[in-house]
Amino acid sequence: MISLAALSVAYAGGRRALDGVDLSIAPGERVALIGPSGAGKTTLLRVMGANLRPTGGQLQLDGLDPWALNARQLQGLRGRVGKMYQAPPIPPRQRVITAVLAGRLGQWPLWRAVASLIYPLDIDGARAALAPFDLAERLFDRCDQLSGGQLQRVALARLFYQQPQLVLADEPVSALDPTLARSVAVALNEDAKRRGATLIASLHAVELALSEFSRVIGLREGRIVFDRPAAQLGVADIEALYAGVPYASAPEAHNPDAPSARPRLTRCA
Amino acid sequence: MSPVIPRRGLTLSVLVLAAVFASVWRLDLIAAFAEGQDSLGELFGFLQRFAAPDTSPAFLSKVGQGAIETLAISLIGTLLAVLAGVALALPASGRFGRLGQIVSRFMLNLLRSVPELVWATLTVLAAGLGPFAGTLALALHTTGVLGRLYAEALENAPPAPEAALRGAGSGAVAAFLYGTLPAVAPQWVAYGLYRWEMNIRMAAILGFVGAGGLGAQLYYALSLFHEARAATLIVAMLLLSLLVDALSGWLRRRLVVA
Repeated sequence: MISLAALSVAYAGGRRALDGVDLSIAPGERVALIGPSGAGKTTLLRVMGANLRPTGGQLQLDGLDPWALNARQLQGLRGRVGKMYQAPPIPPRQRVITAVLAGRLGQWPLWRAVASLIYPLDIDGARAALAPFDLAERLFDRCDQLSGGQLQRVALARLFYQQPQLVLADEPVSALDPTLARSVAVALNEDAKRRGATLIASLHAVELALSEFSRVIGLREGRIVFDRPAAQLGVADIEALYAGVPYASAPEAHNPDAPSARPRLTRCA
Repeated sequence: MSPVIPRRGLTLSVLVLAAVFASVWRLDLIAAFAEGQDSLGELFGFLQRFAAPDTSPAFLSKVGQGAIETLAISLIGTLLAVLAGVALALPASGRFGRLGQIVSRFMLNLLRSVPELVWATLTVLAAGLGPFAGTLALALHTTGVLGRLYAEALENAPPAPEAALRGAGSGAVAAFLYGTLPAVAPQWVAYGLYRWEMNIRMAAILGFVGAGGLGAQLYYALSLFHEARAATLIVAMLLLSLLVDALSGWLRRRLVVA
């Protein structure tokens, strides 16, 4: 499904966000990415989602190199990949139903997208996607009337409505309280198991990674430190992964010139 | 060193006074007032003829027609401007490269910097007397105004939702409609309604250069010294613009704030 060989991503200025990553993920695997912030988790997910072009090495998704495809094929490939983010990228004034239906924009022809904006075409489908999260009755509310946790569950419903073969989740539960975080992580895993989809999620909560996912990859400074089944990971591995990383200042480990308080917006741009 | 006495206030006062005296002297205002003493009665007589508006049914129906025409000119002119404004705002916000941005910004500046009345004199020459010329003139100037405001709204809209949809395989148009439009639509609607309020007044005036509506009728009435008819027309304009203000305010509350 996904294979990376000697893959690296270097930013202007020479800093390497990923440095010689070799990785192969089979269909249906459920993988957690852990590591200190700045380790390259987001970059790795963006590369695997064909959103960021690697500067070196090989990448294959579904047996294809996404950057050798033409624009239409690349769009089709992206349509089979679902993504989740720490902050759900949903316009605040959008209705919940529209936000959920937007999950299939990659599969719908343009006339259908426009028609659905005027009158929602698949109300039942959106309702079914929201039902597991107790949000079915909020179908016609605006997203700015929801709490942060509810909004993240709307993003999850959008993902389930899209039914992608590959789910890439970048810190999907980091902004949620522990109970909700677990329920979202469980829902992601249950959905992937049921549909046989591949799931790759970056997490800060190590215990969630160990309890819910089948395979755990530890990243640090753009390199893979370990890659093994969750059951074979010990406390020592985890401690070694995070060893010597002071809270919050880890990103600057690569870049001693930068002032430590500077927000690292460039990585997300 | 002696302390500096602040003299800016004094200088300003002297300058303003000098400007006032120079203007009064240049315009011969004192002489005009002195003459006005004799003709004041005449002026009141003129104004008095406005006090009894013409309310004959035949004329009222003609005014009604004119009011509907003015309303239609302002409405269609503003709607066309909203569409053209969106069409120019998209490249002006830099979505189609640097060249598209430069060209569309230049066009917006050009459209905006020519006032409606000047556009109307041009469109009357090009398209002939009548409401079409007025509609076109309003649409041209308003496109320039709305296009610039719309482009600014687009530039300030958060990019993440649209980028996420593109990343999930959505086409460019659909991603814009679902990702960015919800963020800019309230501002776009509000600006459009504000311009409609302004354009209803402007549509009434455009008739003076031959662009149809109530303004054309007012121009004829005043030219022929039909003060009673002119009074009816002025009242009709007032009512029309009050109506549009109320309607637009109601729509804005319904569509934008809620």
